[in-house]
Amino acid sequence: MIERFFALARRMSKPPPVVGATPASVVHAENKWRLLRYDRRPAGLAHQTPVLLVPSLINRHYVLDLMPEKSFVEWLVARGHDVYCIDWGTPSDEDRFLTFEDITDRYIGRAVRVACRLSGVDKLHMLGYCLGGTLAVIHAAVRPEHIATLTLLATPVGFHDEGLLSRWTRSRGFDVRALVDGVGNVPWQLMQSAFHLLRPTMNVAKAVSMLDRAWDDEFMDGFLALETWGNDNVSFPGACYRTYIEELYRDDALVHGRFKLGPNPVRLEDIRCPALVVTFEHDAIVPWPSAAVVMDKISSRDKHRLHLSGGHVGAVVPKKAAKGLWPAMATFWADRDARA
Amino acid sequence: MMGWDVFKQYFNAWESSTANVVEAWLKSPLVLEPAGTWLSMMMKTKAAADKNAATAWGALGLPTKRDQERALHALNQIQSRLIDLEEQLADMKAATAAPKKA
Repeated sequence: MIERFFALARRMSKPPPVVGATPASVVHAENKWRLLRYDRRPAGLAHQTPVLLVPSLINRHYVLDLMPEKSFVEWLVARGHDVYCIDWGTPSDEDRFLTFEDITDRYIGRAVRVACRLSGVDKLHMLGYCLGGTLAVIHAAVRPEHIATLTLLATPVGFHDEGLLSRWTRSRGFDVRALVDGVGNVPWQLMQSAFHLLRPTMNVAKAVSMLDRAWDDEFMDGFLALETWGNDNVSFPGACYRTYIEELYRDDALVHGRFKLGPNPVRLEDIRCPALVVTFEHDAIVPWPSAAVVMDKISSRDKHRLHLSGGHVGAVVPKKAAKGLWPAMATFWADRDARA
Repeated sequence: MMGWDVFKQYFNAWESSTANVVEAWLKSPLVLEPAGTWLSMMMKTKAAADKNAATAWGALGLPTKRDQERALHALNQIQSRLIDLEEQLADMKAATAAPKKA
């Protein structure tokens, strides 16, 4: 037992792991968000259609580029993909007025057009992760013209489930307007607390897990990198949060075709591009039925669902993803490129 | 090592059962409703206090925090509109340049 604490102390004396290290340049910046283009491999591109990664609004983008050898982005770049990623940045107080339309239509639309222009193509592969996938699916329904394929990774589309988050947001006592009026942007601490409540014993379990493998440097590096990411959150723009809760969580408007982006109705059946939907069996944040429901709603004839074991983050990041999930997505894109 | 393995076995059993019990408790309307009401009351109180402070600042002829947020947001919106226009101009230039090349 004592040895474990010594091993842990030895690891803690080392510098923290470097996160988000794949070289990239900023090709567009607007308000707080930036569009990153990862440096292409020296051997040149093997795939002409670029990939645009749309991460969640409330987490940092680098979960998809966690650390060397545990990075989806690094893996894609090494296989000759032209990879772009949106970094949403940190909203300031004035961003409380940012709407769903600003983010989903204007910002994502701009990212898509800039990426297409720089890569010299008309269409790209769009991948949305978690809430980023919800933004991506809404964008693809309203502005399908530049989307070659849509990949949704642990993406909530149906919001009426029996999970804690769904129940909490639908409880009568919770007044989302009062919350947004009171705080402006919804503080990340509030949202992180809600996520912790999904597994109240998680922090104790993490501590035991850390002690259990304290001498395994590779495990500890990955663990600490993930913890760095997990504690590096951003607040949710107020107006956008209100729409998210009132229309998506409470009304389940996306699934029922009632959601609107400004004047434009968002109809999931308008999505006709090839689609890959990835769900995870033990996802406590986005229960898999919430993510899988999109399969029944979109009109794509070429649509596939990949159901994997693992949780919301744990299944995306580690080395085992490099043998299962990542190649599955890359093969999906390569096959559709070949058919185009 | 043996002692640790036994500890882990018991810990895992405790963690799993405790998490399930706490989750069921948290999902109960008896917890969710009062928690939501409490949070909403706190937020309404904060909003009212902020409004009173803003009224006091406004009475002195000074811009409030909300005024500054609105002004900054408007600037950000203008920046986005300008980028929209730049994109449209670039598209128009490309469209007019294309036939000349042909």
